Amino acid sequence: MIVIIDYGMGNIASVKNALEHLKLNCVVSRDAEVIMNADKLILPGVGSFKKAMGYLNQYGLVEVLNEKVINRKTPVLGICLGMQLLAEFGTEDAEESHPTPGLKWISGKVTKIQTMSPEYRVPHMGFNSIRQINENQILRQIPIDSHFYFVHSYHFQTDQENIIAVTEYESELVAIVGRNNIVGVQFHPEKSQQVGLKLIQNFVGMM
Amino acid sequence: MLKKRLIFSLLVSDGNFQLSRNFNLQKVGNLSWLYDCYNLDAITKSIDELVILNVSRNFEEDKASFLEVVSKLAKNCFIPISLGGGIRSLEDAFLYMGSGADKLVVGNILFKNPELVKELVSVFGGQSITAAVDFLRKGDDRIIQINNGKEVIDFKFEEGLSFVNSLGVGELLLTSIEKDGTGQGYDLEAYEIASKILTIPIVASGGVGKFIHLSESLKVPYISASNTANIFNFMVNGLIDARKSIEDSGTKLAHWNL
Repeated sequence: MIVIIDYGMGNIASVKNALEHLKLNCVVSRDAEVIMNADKLILPGVGSFKKAMGYLNQYGLVEVLNEKVINRKTPVLGICLGMQLLAEFGTEDAEESHPTPGLKWISGKVTKIQTMSPEYRVPHMGFNSIRQINENQILRQIPIDSHFYFVHSYHFQTDQENIIAVTEYESELVAIVGRNNIVGVQFHPEKSQQVGLKLIQNFVGMM
Repeated sequence: MLKKRLIFSLLVSDGNFQLSRNFNLQKVGNLSWLYDCYNLDAITKSIDELVILNVSRNFEEDKASFLEVVSKLAKNCFIPISLGGGIRSLEDAFLYMGSGADKLVVGNILFKNPELVKELVSVFGGQSITAAVDFLRKGDDRIIQINNGKEVIDFKFEEGLSFVNSLGVGELLLTSIEKDGTGQGYDLEAYEIASKILTIPIVASGGVGKFIHLSESLKVPYISASNTANIFNFMVNGLIDARKSIEDSGTKLAHWNL
Protein backbone atom coordinates (compact mmCIF):
# COMPACT_ATOMS: atom_id res chain seq x y z
CA MET A 1 0.00 0.00 0.00
CA ILE A 2 1.26 3.46 -0.98
CA VAL A 3 0.34 6.17 1.49
CA ILE A 4 -0.02 9.73 0.23
CA ILE A 5 0.64 11.82 3.30
CA ASP A 6 -2.13 14.31 3.88
CA TYR A 7 -0.99 17.19 6.03
CA GLY A 8 -3.60 19.57 4.70
CA MET A 9 -1.60 21.07 1.85
CA GLY A 10 -1.32 20.53 -1.82
CA ASN A 11 -2.77 18.98 -4.93
CA ILE A 12 -3.45 15.62 -3.32
CA ALA A 13 -6.33 14.86 -5.71
CA SER A 14 -3.91 15.10 -8.66
CA VAL A 15 -1.40 12.73 -7.06
CA LYS A 16 -4.17 10.26 -6.23
CA ASN A 17 -5.58 10.46 -9.80
CA ALA A 18 -2.16 9.58 -11.20
CA LEU A 19 -1.68 6.58 -8.88
CA GLU A 20 -5.19 5.30 -9.57
CA HIS A 21 -4.62 5.65 -13.31
CA LEU A 22 -1.55 3.43 -12.86
CA LYS A 23 -3.79 0.97 -10.96
CA LEU A 24 -1.68 1.34 -7.84
CA ASN A 25 -3.15 0.66 -4.44
CA CYS A 26 -3.03 3.93 -2.51
CA VAL A 27 -4.59 5.75 0.37
CA VAL A 28 -4.52 9.38 1.50
CA SER A 29 -3.87 9.60 5.23
CA ARG A 30 -2.28 11.40 8.16
CA ASP A 31 -2.91 8.51 10.54
CA ALA A 32 0.29 7.27 12.24
CA GLU A 33 -0.76 3.62 12.10
CA VAL A 34 -1.63 3.78 8.40
CA ILE A 35 1.67 5.48 7.67
CA MET A 36 3.64 2.92 9.69
CA ASN A 37 2.09 0.10 7.64
CA ALA A 38 2.88 1.67 4.26
CA ASP A 39 5.16 0.01 1.71
CA LYS A 40 5.90 3.35 0.11
CA LEU A 41 5.28 6.94 1.10
CA ILE A 42 4.55 9.96 -1.05
CA LEU A 43 4.99 13.39 0.49
CA PRO A 44 3.20 15.82 -1.82
CA GLY A 45 2.92 19.50 -1.23
CA VAL A 46 2.07 22.86 -2.65
CA GLY A 47 2.47 25.88 -0.44
CA SER A 48 4.86 27.45 1.99
CA PHE A 49 7.71 25.59 3.69
CA LYS A 50 6.99 27.14 7.07
CA LYS A 51 3.27 26.30 7.01
CA ALA A 52 3.96 22.75 5.82
CA MET A 53 6.45 22.02 8.62
CA GLY A 54 3.97 23.62 11.03
CA TYR A 55 1.26 21.14 9.97
CA LEU A 56 3.63 18.15 10.01
CA ASN A 57 4.58 19.05 13.58
CA GLN A 58 1.00 19.80 14.59
CA TYR A 59 -0.20 16.39 13.38
CA GLY A 60 2.74 14.69 15.10
CA LEU A 61 3.98 13.38 11.75
CA VAL A 62 7.65 14.34 11.99
CA GLU A 63 8.46 11.60 14.54
CA VAL A 64 6.37 9.02 12.68
CA LEU A 65 8.08 9.86 9.39
CA ASN A 66 11.54 9.78 10.96
CA GLU A 67 10.88 6.32 12.35
CA LYS A 68 9.43 5.06 9.07
CA VAL A 69 11.90 6.62 6.64
CA ILE A 70 15.17 6.78 8.60
CA ASN A 71 14.94 3.72 10.88
CA ARG A 72 12.79 1.39 8.81
CA LYS A 73 14.08 2.69 5.48
CA THR A 74 10.71 2.81 3.71
CA PRO A 75 11.06 4.44 0.27
CA VAL A 76 9.68 7.96 0.18
CA LEU A 77 9.04 10.29 -2.75
CA GLY A 78 8.81 14.01 -1.99
CA ILE A 79 7.08 16.08 -4.67
CA CYS A 80 7.65 19.82 -5.12
CA LEU A 81 7.27 21.31 -1.63
CA GLY A 82 7.44 17.74 -0.34
CA MET A 83 10.92 17.52 -1.92
CA GLN A 84 11.99 20.80 -0.37
CA LEU A 85 10.90 19.63 3.10
CA LEU A 86 13.61 16.94 2.93
CA ALA A 87 16.19 19.73 3.44
CA GLU A 88 17.76 20.90 6.69
CA PHE A 89 15.97 24.24 6.57
CA GLY A 90 14.03 26.67 4.40
CA THR A 91 13.90 30.45 4.29
CA GLU A 92 10.35 30.87 2.92
CA ASP A 93 8.20 33.15 5.13
CA ALA A 94 10.99 33.17 7.70
CA GLU A 95 13.46 35.78 8.85
CA GLU A 96 16.88 35.21 7.42
CA SER A 97 18.41 34.61 10.83
CA HIS A 98 15.66 32.14 11.79
CA PRO A 99 15.00 29.77 8.88
CA THR A 100 12.44 26.99 9.40
CA PRO A 101 13.91 23.56 10.17
CA GLY A 102 12.95 20.89 7.64
CA LEU A 103 12.91 17.09 7.93
CA LYS A 104 16.73 17.16 7.62
CA TRP A 105 16.96 13.90 5.66
CA ILE A 106 19.09 15.45 2.94
CA SER A 107 21.70 18.10 3.68
CA GLY A 108 21.15 21.55 2.23
CA LYS A 109 18.76 24.45 2.29
CA VAL A 110 15.79 25.87 0.40
CA THR A 111 16.05 29.49 -0.69
CA LYS A 112 14.33 31.89 -3.09
CA ILE A 113 15.25 31.65 -6.78
CA GLN A 114 17.15 34.81 -7.74
CA THR A 115 17.43 35.84 -11.38
CA MET A 116 19.21 38.79 -12.98
CA SER A 117 17.54 39.01 -16.39
CA PRO A 118 13.79 39.86 -16.56
CA GLU A 119 13.43 37.18 -19.21
CA TYR A 120 13.85 34.63 -16.43
CA ARG A 121 10.63 35.11 -14.54
CA VAL A 122 10.00 33.81 -11.04
CA PRO A 123 8.24 31.44 -10.31
CA HIS A 124 10.08 29.06 -12.61
CA MET A 125 6.90 27.76 -14.25
CA GLY A 126 6.27 25.34 -17.10
CA PHE A 127 7.84 22.30 -18.71
CA ASN A 128 11.60 22.11 -18.55
CA SER A 129 14.01 19.35 -19.48
CA ILE A 130 16.31 17.73 -16.92
CA ARG A 131 19.92 16.55 -17.03
CA GLN A 132 21.08 13.56 -15.03
CA ILE A 133 24.00 14.06 -12.60
CA ASN A 134 24.05 10.79 -10.63
CA GLU A 135 22.61 7.36 -11.29
CA ASN A 136 19.27 6.55 -9.70
CA GLN A 137 16.50 4.03 -10.37
CA ILE A 138 13.97 6.85 -10.47
CA LEU A 139 15.20 7.77 -13.99
CA ARG A 140 15.18 4.23 -15.35
CA GLN A 141 14.00 4.16 -19.00
CA ILE A 142 13.27 7.87 -18.98
CA PRO A 143 14.63 9.38 -22.20
CA ILE A 144 17.32 12.05 -22.04
CA ASP A 145 15.81 15.52 -22.50
CA SER A 146 12.37 14.54 -21.15
CA HIS A 147 10.25 17.45 -19.93
CA PHE A 148 8.67 17.78 -16.50
CA TYR A 149 6.31 20.39 -15.08
CA PHE A 150 7.95 22.82 -12.66
CA VAL A 151 6.17 25.49 -10.65
CA HIS A 152 8.28 26.93 -7.84
CA SER A 153 9.80 30.14 -6.50
CA TYR A 154 12.21 28.42 -4.08
CA HIS A 155 14.89 25.87 -4.83
CA PHE A 156 16.88 23.19 -3.02
CA GLN A 157 20.62 23.78 -2.71
CA THR A 158 22.56 20.68 -1.74
CA ASP A 159 25.87 18.83 -2.19
CA GLN A 160 26.63 17.37 -5.60
CA GLU A 161 26.47 13.81 -4.23
CA ASN A 162 22.76 14.24 -3.36
CA ILE A 163 21.80 15.58 -6.80
CA ILE A 164 20.26 13.09 -9.24
CA ALA A 165 19.28 15.65 -11.89
CA VAL A 166 19.28 19.37 -12.57
CA THR A 167 17.25 21.64 -14.83
CA GLU A 168 18.53 24.63 -16.72
CA TYR A 169 17.12 28.09 -16.02
CA GLU A 170 19.18 31.26 -15.77
CA SER A 171 21.37 29.17 -13.51
CA GLU A 172 21.01 25.43 -12.90
CA LEU A 173 18.33 24.40 -10.43
CA VAL A 174 18.20 21.07 -8.62
CA ALA A 175 15.44 18.93 -10.14
CA ILE A 176 15.87 15.60 -8.31
CA VAL A 177 17.59 14.80 -5.03
CA GLY A 178 18.21 11.31 -3.75
CA ARG A 179 19.88 9.45 -0.93
CA ASN A 180 19.32 5.77 -0.11
CA ASN A 181 15.55 5.20 0.20
CA ILE A 182 14.74 8.90 -0.16
CA VAL A 183 13.94 10.66 -3.44
CA GLY A 184 12.66 14.17 -3.98
CA VAL A 185 11.50 15.74 -7.24
CA GLN A 186 11.11 19.49 -7.59
CA PHE A 187 8.71 19.05 -10.51
CA HIS A 188 5.27 17.44 -10.56
CA PRO A 189 5.49 13.93 -12.08
CA GLU A 190 1.73 13.56 -11.64
CA LYS A 191 1.36 16.52 -14.04
CA SER A 192 4.08 15.60 -16.54
CA GLN A 193 2.18 13.43 -19.01
CA GLN A 194 3.24 9.82 -19.66
CA VAL A 195 6.86 10.44 -18.78
CA GLY A 196 5.84 11.67 -15.32
CA LEU A 197 3.69 8.59 -14.78
CA LYS A 198 6.69 6.46 -15.76
CA LEU A 199 8.77 8.17 -13.08
CA ILE A 200 6.08 7.39 -10.48
CA GLN A 201 6.16 3.74 -11.61
CA ASN A 202 9.94 3.76 -11.20
CA PHE A 203 9.53 4.98 -7.64
CA VAL A 204 6.98 2.27 -6.88
CA GLY A 205 9.45 -0.30 -8.21
CA MET A 206 12.18 0.84 -5.81
CA MET A 207 13.17 -1.56 -3.04
CA MET B 1 15.52 25.04 -21.30
CA LEU B 2 12.14 26.18 -20.04
CA LYS B 3 9.56 25.87 -22.81
CA LYS B 4 6.75 28.23 -23.69
CA ARG B 5 3.26 26.94 -22.94
CA LEU B 6 0.08 26.47 -24.95
CA ILE B 7 -2.93 26.75 -22.65
CA PHE B 8 -6.52 25.81 -23.42
CA SER B 9 -9.34 27.21 -21.31
CA LEU B 10 -12.74 25.67 -20.84
CA LEU B 11 -15.52 27.97 -19.71
CA VAL B 12 -18.26 26.19 -17.78
CA SER B 13 -21.68 27.37 -16.73
CA ASP B 14 -24.43 25.17 -15.35
CA GLY B 15 -22.55 22.03 -16.43
CA ASN B 16 -22.28 23.30 -20.01
CA PHE B 17 -19.28 24.53 -21.95
CA GLN B 18 -19.49 28.08 -23.23
CA LEU B 19 -18.17 30.11 -26.09
CA SER B 20 -17.30 33.67 -25.12
CA ARG B 21 -17.25 36.75 -27.33
CA ASN B 22 -16.47 40.04 -25.63
CA PHE B 23 -17.46 38.18 -22.45
CA ASN B 24 -20.95 37.38 -23.75
CA LEU B 25 -21.55 33.68 -23.35
CA GLN B 26 -23.12 31.17 -25.64
CA LYS B 27 -23.83 27.61 -24.58
CA VAL B 28 -22.22 24.98 -26.79
CA GLY B 29 -22.73 21.67 -25.02
CA ASN B 30 -22.16 19.46 -22.03
CA LEU B 31 -19.46 16.97 -21.12
CA SER B 32 -20.64 14.32 -23.58
CA TRP B 33 -20.66 16.98 -26.31
CA LEU B 34 -17.04 17.72 -25.41
CA TYR B 35 -16.12 14.04 -25.63
CA ASP B 36 -17.93 13.76 -28.98
CA CYS B 37 -16.33 16.81 -30.57
CA TYR B 38 -12.86 16.52 -29.17
CA ASN B 39 -10.35 13.75 -28.94
CA LEU B 40 -9.72 14.65 -25.29
CA ASP B 41 -6.87 12.23 -24.77
CA ALA B 42 -5.01 13.62 -27.77
CA ILE B 43 -5.82 17.16 -26.71
CA THR B 44 -4.40 16.85 -23.24
CA LYS B 45 -1.25 15.52 -24.89
CA SER B 46 -1.00 18.55 -27.17
CA ILE B 47 -1.42 21.35 -24.64
CA ASP B 48 0.72 22.26 -21.64
CA GLU B 49 -1.98 23.33 -19.24
CA LEU B 50 -5.73 23.22 -18.91
CA VAL B 51 -7.67 26.07 -17.34
CA ILE B 52 -11.27 25.45 -16.30
CA LEU B 53 -13.31 28.46 -15.25
CA ASN B 54 -16.71 28.60 -13.63
CA VAL B 55 -18.22 31.48 -15.60
CA SER B 56 -21.75 30.99 -14.34
CA ARG B 57 -23.48 34.22 -13.43
CA ASN B 58 -24.90 32.23 -10.49
CA PHE B 59 -21.60 30.64 -9.55
CA GLU B 60 -22.66 29.85 -6.00
CA GLU B 61 -25.57 27.63 -7.12
CA ASP B 62 -23.56 26.17 -9.97
CA LYS B 63 -20.52 25.29 -7.88
CA ALA B 64 -21.49 21.64 -7.43
CA SER B 65 -22.11 21.01 -11.14
CA PHE B 66 -18.88 22.86 -11.99
CA LEU B 67 -16.78 20.74 -9.64
CA GLU B 68 -18.44 17.58 -10.94
CA VAL B 69 -17.34 18.44 -14.49
CA VAL B 70 -13.85 19.26 -13.20
CA SER B 71 -13.46 16.01 -11.26
CA LYS B 72 -14.42 13.99 -14.32
CA LEU B 73 -12.00 15.86 -16.58
CA ALA B 74 -9.18 15.72 -14.02
CA LYS B 75 -9.32 11.93 -13.65
CA ASN B 76 -7.29 11.23 -16.76
CA CYS B 77 -5.56 14.53 -17.29
CA PHE B 78 -1.86 14.52 -16.46
CA ILE B 79 -1.08 18.13 -17.18
CA PRO B 80 -1.54 21.01 -14.73
CA ILE B 81 -5.12 22.12 -14.19
CA SER B 82 -5.94 25.63 -13.05
CA LEU B 83 -9.38 26.22 -11.61
CA GLY B 84 -11.13 29.48 -11.02
CA GLY B 85 -14.31 31.48 -11.17
CA GLY B 86 -16.19 32.10 -7.98
CA ILE B 87 -13.44 31.64 -5.38
CA ARG B 88 -14.71 33.86 -2.59
CA SER B 89 -13.33 32.18 0.53
CA LEU B 90 -10.56 29.93 1.81
CA GLU B 91 -13.13 27.09 1.91
CA ASP B 92 -13.81 27.58 -1.82
CA ALA B 93 -10.07 27.39 -2.47
CA PHE B 94 -9.74 24.10 -0.57
CA LEU B 95 -12.82 22.75 -2.37
CA TYR B 96 -11.34 23.62 -5.79
CA MET B 97 -7.94 22.17 -4.82
CA GLY B 98 -9.63 18.99 -3.62
CA SER B 99 -11.38 18.59 -6.99
CA GLY B 100 -8.16 18.22 -8.94
CA ALA B 101 -6.73 21.73 -9.20
CA ASP B 102 -3.00 22.30 -9.26
CA LYS B 103 -3.36 26.06 -9.42
CA LEU B 104 -6.14 28.48 -8.54
CA VAL B 105 -7.28 31.36 -10.74
CA VAL B 106 -8.55 34.46 -8.94
CA GLY B 107 -10.16 37.52 -10.50
CA ASN B 108 -12.68 39.67 -8.69
CA ILE B 109 -11.16 39.15 -5.25
CA LEU B 110 -7.88 40.70 -6.44
CA PHE B 111 -9.63 44.04 -6.10
CA LYS B 112 -12.67 43.21 -3.92
CA ASN B 113 -10.91 41.16 -1.26
CA PRO B 114 -7.14 41.45 -1.61
CA GLU B 115 -6.66 40.21 1.96
CA LEU B 116 -8.15 36.87 0.90
CA VAL B 117 -5.72 36.72 -2.04
CA LYS B 118 -2.84 37.27 0.35
CA GLU B 119 -4.19 34.50 2.55
CA LEU B 120 -4.40 32.12 -0.44
CA VAL B 121 -0.82 33.05 -1.32
CA SER B 122 0.26 32.27 2.21
CA VAL B 123 -1.61 28.93 2.35
CA PHE B 124 -0.95 27.57 -1.16
CA GLY B 125 2.17 29.55 -2.06
CA GLY B 126 2.21 32.36 -4.64
CA GLN B 127 3.23 29.93 -7.39
CA SER B 128 -0.20 28.25 -7.14
CA ILE B 129 -2.22 31.44 -7.52
CA THR B 130 -2.89 32.87 -11.00
CA ALA B 131 -4.26 36.40 -11.16
CA ALA B 132 -6.82 36.80 -13.95
CA VAL B 133 -7.08 40.43 -15.02
CA ASP B 134 -9.55 41.50 -17.72
CA PHE B 135 -9.08 44.78 -19.51
CA LEU B 136 -10.65 46.96 -22.17
CA ARG B 137 -9.06 49.59 -24.37
CA LYS B 138 -10.39 53.12 -23.99
CA GLY B 139 -8.66 55.34 -26.56
CA ASP B 140 -4.97 55.23 -25.71
CA ASP B 141 -5.65 53.90 -22.22
CA ARG B 142 -6.72 50.56 -20.89
CA ILE B 143 -9.12 50.01 -18.05
CA ILE B 144 -9.46 46.97 -15.82
CA GLN B 145 -12.91 45.49 -15.38
CA ILE B 146 -14.20 42.89 -12.97
CA ASN B 147 -17.47 40.96 -12.60
CA ASN B 148 -17.26 39.57 -16.14
CA GLY B 149 -16.59 42.99 -17.58
CA LYS B 150 -19.50 44.64 -15.84
CA GLU B 151 -17.66 46.74 -13.27
CA VAL B 152 -14.76 49.16 -13.68
CA ILE B 153 -12.21 49.47 -10.90
CA ASP B 154 -10.67 52.70 -9.70
CA PHE B 155 -7.10 51.83 -10.60
CA LYS B 156 -5.51 52.75 -13.88
CA PHE B 157 -4.22 49.79 -15.90
CA GLU B 158 -0.60 50.13 -14.76
CA GLU B 159 -1.61 50.82 -11.16
CA GLY B 160 -3.93 47.84 -11.13
CA LEU B 161 -1.21 45.52 -12.42
CA SER B 162 1.23 46.88 -9.89
CA PHE B 163 -1.33 46.30 -7.13
CA VAL B 164 -1.87 42.71 -8.31
CA ASN B 165 1.90 42.19 -8.27
CA SER B 166 2.05 43.40 -4.66
CA LEU B 167 -0.28 40.58 -3.56
CA GLY B 168 2.39 37.94 -4.21
CA VAL B 169 0.56 35.93 -6.88
CA GLY B 170 2.59 33.65 -9.17
CA GLU B 171 1.24 34.32 -12.64
CA LEU B 172 -0.79 36.85 -14.61
CA LEU B 173 -3.52 35.76 -17.04
CA LEU B 174 -4.24 38.99 -18.86
CA THR B 175 -7.34 38.94 -21.07
CA SER B 176 -8.46 41.57 -23.54
CA ILE B 177 -12.25 41.81 -23.33
CA GLU B 178 -12.59 43.50 -26.71
CA LYS B 179 -10.41 40.92 -28.46
CA ASP B 180 -12.06 38.01 -26.65
CA GLY B 181 -13.75 35.67 -29.09
CA THR B 182 -13.15 37.92 -32.11
CA GLY B 183 -10.29 35.94 -33.62
CA GLN B 184 -8.41 39.17 -34.38
CA GLY B 185 -5.29 38.25 -32.40
CA TYR B 186 -3.93 39.34 -29.04
CA ASP B 187 -3.52 42.94 -27.87
CA LEU B 188 0.25 42.42 -27.74
CA GLU B 189 1.03 45.92 -26.49
CA ALA B 190 -0.75 45.19 -23.20
CA TYR B 191 1.71 42.40 -22.41
CA GLU B 192 4.68 44.61 -23.06
CA ILE B 193 3.31 47.11 -20.54
CA ALA B 194 2.64 44.32 -18.04
CA SER B 195 6.13 42.84 -18.47
CA LYS B 196 7.67 46.08 -17.22
CA ILE B 197 5.49 46.09 -14.09
CA LEU B 198 5.53 42.44 -13.05
CA THR B 199 8.33 39.88 -12.87
CA ILE B 200 6.02 36.84 -12.72
CA PRO B 201 5.13 34.79 -15.82
CA ILE B 202 2.57 36.46 -18.11
CA VAL B 203 -0.08 34.58 -20.09
CA ALA B 204 -1.55 36.20 -23.21
CA SER B 205 -5.29 35.71 -23.54
CA GLY B 206 -8.17 36.89 -25.68
CA GLY B 207 -8.40 37.05 -29.45
CA VAL B 208 -6.85 33.92 -30.93
CA GLY B 209 -8.37 33.07 -34.30
CA LYS B 210 -5.45 31.62 -36.22
CA PHE B 211 -2.42 29.54 -35.38
CA ILE B 212 -0.18 32.46 -36.28
CA HIS B 213 -1.60 34.43 -33.34
CA LEU B 214 -0.29 31.72 -31.03
CA SER B 215 3.10 31.33 -32.70
CA GLU B 216 3.70 35.10 -32.94
CA SER B 217 2.82 35.73 -29.30
CA LEU B 218 5.07 32.90 -28.11
CA LYS B 219 8.00 34.51 -29.90
CA VAL B 220 7.69 37.52 -27.57
CA PRO B 221 10.30 37.01 -24.81
CA TYR B 222 8.13 38.20 -21.93
CA ILE B 223 5.07 36.13 -22.86
CA SER B 224 5.45 32.78 -21.06
CA ALA B 225 2.28 31.17 -22.35
CA SER B 226 -0.57 31.77 -24.76
CA ASN B 227 -4.13 30.92 -23.93
CA THR B 228 -7.14 30.24 -26.07
CA ALA B 229 -10.70 29.55 -25.03
CA ASN B 230 -12.04 29.41 -28.53
CA ILE B 231 -13.68 26.04 -28.33
CA PHE B 232 -14.91 26.00 -31.95
CA ASN B 233 -11.64 26.96 -33.62
CA PHE B 234 -9.88 24.08 -32.01
CA MET B 235 -12.33 21.24 -32.42
CA VAL B 236 -11.26 17.74 -33.47
CA ASN B 237 -7.51 18.05 -34.10
CA GLY B 238 -7.26 21.84 -33.84
CA LEU B 239 -5.00 21.94 -30.80
CA ILE B 240 -2.76 19.19 -32.14
CA ASP B 241 -2.33 21.18 -35.36
CA ALA B 242 -1.81 24.39 -33.37
CA ARG B 243 1.05 22.81 -31.45
CA LYS B 244 2.67 21.62 -34.65
CA SER B 245 2.27 25.05 -36.21
CA ILE B 246 3.98 26.72 -33.22
CA GLU B 247 6.89 24.31 -33.47
CA ASP B 248 7.12 24.81 -37.23
CA SER B 249 7.49 28.55 -36.55
CA GLY B 250 10.67 27.79 -34.60
CA THR B 251 9.42 27.91 -31.00
CA LYS B 252 10.38 24.78 -29.12
CA LEU B 253 7.70 23.18 -26.98
CA ALA B 254 7.83 20.35 -24.48
CA HIS B 255 7.91 16.71 -25.58
CA TRP B 256 6.89 13.78 -23.47
CA ASN B 257 7.72 10.77 -25.62
CA LEU B 258 8.69 7.64 -23.78
